[in-house]
Amino acid sequence: MNASPLKQLWQKFQRTRIGRSIFRVGLPDSNLERSQVMVSSFLLHLQPAKVNKHSLRASYSFGLGLITLYLFFILIGTGVLLMFYYVPSTERAYESMKDLEFVVSAGQLIRNMHRWAAHLMVLFVVLHLCRVFYTAAYKPPREFNWVLGVALMLMTLGLSFTGYLLPWDQLAYWAITVGTNISGYAPIVGPKLKFLMLGGNVVGQPALIRFYALHVMVLPAVTILMVAVHLWRVRKDGGLSRPDEPGNVVAQVELSHLPTNKTYGLMELARGTTPQVGANPEDEVFSWPHLVFREMLLFMFVVAVLLVLAIGWNAPLEQFANPIHPPNPAKAPWYFLGLQELVAHSAFWGGVGVPTLLVVTLVLLPYVDRQRRGTGRWFARERVLANTIFSICLFVAIVLTIIGSFFRGPNWSWQEPWKKPPVATESH
Amino acid sequence: MANESVRKFYPWFTMLGIVVGCLVVGGYYKDQFREWKDFQRKFIREEVRRAITPQQRARAESTPVQVHQIILPELNRVDRCTTCHLAVDDPTYGGYPQPLAYHPLHEQHPSEKFGCTICHRGQGRATTAAAAHGNVPHWDEPMLPLMYIQASCGKCHQAADNPAAPELARGQQIFEDSGCRGCHKLGGTGGIIGPDLDKVGARRSSEWLKKHFLSPAAVSPGSGMPPQKFSEPELEAITLFMLSQTGEMVPGYYASMKVIASPDEGQRLFQQKGCIGCHSLGGKGGTVGPALDDVGLRRAPDWIVAHFKDPQVVTPGTVMPKFGFTEAEARSLTDFLMHLREQKVALSLPSLMGPVERGREVFRKYGCAGCHGPNAQGGVPNPNAKTAQQIPSLKYVADSYTKDEILKRILNGQHEITSLDASKPAPPLYMPGWRGTIKDAELDDLVAYLFSLKPKGEDLGF
Amino acid sequence: MNDPTPGNGVSRRAFFQLSLGWLAGLFAFGASAVAAVRFLVPNVLFEPSEQFKADKPEDYPDGSVTFLEDERVFLIRKGNTFRCLSAVCTHLGCTVNRAENGFHCPCHGSVFDDQGTVKGGPAPRALTWFLVTLSKDGRLLIDKGQPTAPEQYFVL
Repeated sequence: MNASPLKQLWQKFQRTRIGRSIFRVGLPDSNLERSQVMVSSFLLHLQPAKVNKHSLRASYSFGLGLITLYLFFILIGTGVLLMFYYVPSTERAYESMKDLEFVVSAGQLIRNMHRWAAHLMVLFVVLHLCRVFYTAAYKPPREFNWVLGVALMLMTLGLSFTGYLLPWDQLAYWAITVGTNISGYAPIVGPKLKFLMLGGNVVGQPALIRFYALHVMVLPAVTILMVAVHLWRVRKDGGLSRPDEPGNVVAQVELSHLPTNKTYGLMELARGTTPQVGANPEDEVFSWPHLVFREMLLFMFVVAVLLVLAIGWNAPLEQFANPIHPPNPAKAPWYFLGLQELVAHSAFWGGVGVPTLLVVTLVLLPYVDRQRRGTGRWFARERVLANTIFSICLFVAIVLTIIGSFFRGPNWSWQEPWKKPPVATESH
Repeated sequence: MANESVRKFYPWFTMLGIVVGCLVVGGYYKDQFREWKDFQRKFIREEVRRAITPQQRARAESTPVQVHQIILPELNRVDRCTTCHLAVDDPTYGGYPQPLAYHPLHEQHPSEKFGCTICHRGQGRATTAAAAHGNVPHWDEPMLPLMYIQASCGKCHQAADNPAAPELARGQQIFEDSGCRGCHKLGGTGGIIGPDLDKVGARRSSEWLKKHFLSPAAVSPGSGMPPQKFSEPELEAITLFMLSQTGEMVPGYYASMKVIASPDEGQRLFQQKGCIGCHSLGGKGGTVGPALDDVGLRRAPDWIVAHFKDPQVVTPGTVMPKFGFTEAEARSLTDFLMHLREQKVALSLPSLMGPVERGREVFRKYGCAGCHGPNAQGGVPNPNAKTAQQIPSLKYVADSYTKDEILKRILNGQHEITSLDASKPAPPLYMPGWRGTIKDAELDDLVAYLFSLKPKGEDLGF
Repeated sequence: MNDPTPGNGVSRRAFFQLSLGWLAGLFAFGASAVAAVRFLVPNVLFEPSEQFKADKPEDYPDGSVTFLEDERVFLIRKGNTFRCLSAVCTHLGCTVNRAENGFHCPCHGSVFDDQGTVKGGPAPRALTWFLVTLSKDGRLLIDKGQPTAPEQYFVL
């Protein structure tokens, strides 16, 4: 045995009484222990003891869901740190931003990480959704997990949007003003919803404290819970989707059909597919180390990229919020610019029609799509129609967002980004 | 077995571990590098160099390198300027190059009481030179150029009271004389043709203001404001006065420097308390006390306030009784007396001037000169107006209007100005209605003044 | 783990790669934790400074005991000597009041004489004396970070 000194040290610690009390199983040396280490550790038991080789292929999942999860972890960590300095008051919020920049050690760095991680999370949640669609991974038995995923995407947007207001600068103030006005276009509930969200008719102190409470407490708590269910369902639904899985053959026990004069073990009642169902031992490897090591690498990669962004580019902070002088044009956060572009053409379609249609379609998708084949393969031939429709929608959304972000100048007029914008005329 | 497929990732693992480690250290190092630390080390070296006794030396050497800040809750400011400007309170650093120079007059305005940005502007919370001096994007309040620093005196001191701020007083004088109030409101008084000027100093830079005065339409397209013919010193003075109008209200201790502007209340008290029994104004009144026409020239406002509160304190042995004025009353009375000096003689004290002279003061006070010219001779451009694209002279109103007609014209204004060319935009300047602004008594005087304008000996067709 | 026998080149390389990776990774983790703790240590305080300037020496009449409210100290002049006594009770931090021949704490009844020595009540220690010096612009400079002996005073 040629264990590294680090490993020896770790094993020595684990053999002590304290070590044994914390880690029931030492570093595994046998297949039994490799299973045990996954099952007996709280953090690792979210994952199965063995995984299918197909699930480990980076070219299948690209780790997009994991990246989103890691970004969420980093956001919680940096967010909690920022809370130690941030004051959710219209008078002091902006000052806390300035203090983070100028007098708090690593303050700007941590704020940058939080900001860029937030943008990246929105991006990766959408990429993850695209992956799941193109590999038809939402099909039975994973329909409900897809719905959960759509809800999580909305939560991510909500988290990002509520966080956007907190610096209380011009960018924040007007993005939220525009963003909440878009929601005000919804018929009947729109104005009421906007009023409730802002705690008034304009963005002010009540809006700030509401967004703060949502951002640091309500939305994260709900999101954590939903993420837990989402991950749990990934296991319960048989791990990542793959082409050779037994499809929609779900081992299901109808409770009502069971004789009641007998005591049942938990395993007899457990519903649904377990990782063992349809498993071929040849295709499976132990999660420790195959899955865990890859996950760790991916985490390090995400941290590295985020640190490069945070060191290289500062999070924006504009002038102190000024309700009298809006910037021209006032833009919503980038992920709502597609909607804002639509609102510029039709208030109804941009504010209500399209977003409602999108969410409803996404939620109903796994129940409407009757095609049973194609799961676990990218761009399956059987799904040409579905993939084409989805690609067109995605393309339109991207184009609208790009137009809203880069091609709209003062008064929302067309403006090529490579041309100098005309001098805005002063209102006298 | 297990190792084979994982082992291919080992180089990645090593590399990523090192990269993340380096990035964490690099990010933290970058954060720890702050330019103010260099300035502080330089200052400490200088202090060590100057130290004479070993104790002084040891104390200088042990000076911690840290952010200094002045917290001013009343002014709602935190100024960190002294993080780099470490010797503002140390006269022995007089004449040193910045950032280590002593601040002249520090004794009158100690930095721990006033901070820095209340006068100099800039970004007090910042700790880099560029950001603190406000020369960065997204900061709208850059440092006030030193040549305009007197603009800040007006925040706590009344312009006319402060002998250390002559440029500010001059700027105000030019403002009133040029009739800016005819179109612009300042402090609630003035016309509505142009925008309010209450916060103009916070919104506009000196460069913008200067350009705007000489050629308004060049920086503010569509502006109907007539170009002003200021000389270079006049231009600087009025720019300075505009910069002083930031709309910022200083509270408490700082505001106590300012005499509350309430000459009307002062005049009411002056009459009610019967001051005229002992003192005279314009030759009328008692002779027990001194005449008060020029008291504002002879005495500082603080002196007068103190005198009202308790005459014995400032002039022992005086026969003037202690009236028991409150602070506010004493200040109002003082303001009234200072006002007498400012306007030479109070407008509304009847017998002192003839109606024509008083009317001329009304003409000046409400900024009529802004459009009609200082002597009502007209000539201010009003593009596309039928009257030769100018504002007409008022010299011959006596011939064309009766008293009632002209009163009506002043009170109601004339909003429609006939265009020379109907296809072009309407003339920008028009006559606003002055009802409710110009007081009744003043109106009679104003008409008397206007009727007096007709050159003597000229009679057209009568 | 089924580590191959020592001397195997592949295994030795893997061993170094793994060790180095772990060391660097753990270092990065530790450094981040240190940075996070450093982040929480405030670099500036939004409270009255320990060091502060009072007025000029001549502004305090001979024999006066001046209470400086914001700083919670008594500034005492006797002849040409200046001393500064903390007004914070050593028991539980209430502000003591000036009484005849000394100071009295309103919270739990501690009594101090005019030297700050405990004469009664629960206070465990005498009131603290602070260092008084002269600032460069000629004003009294008091440092609450530097307690001194009661006998030590600043002579004009």
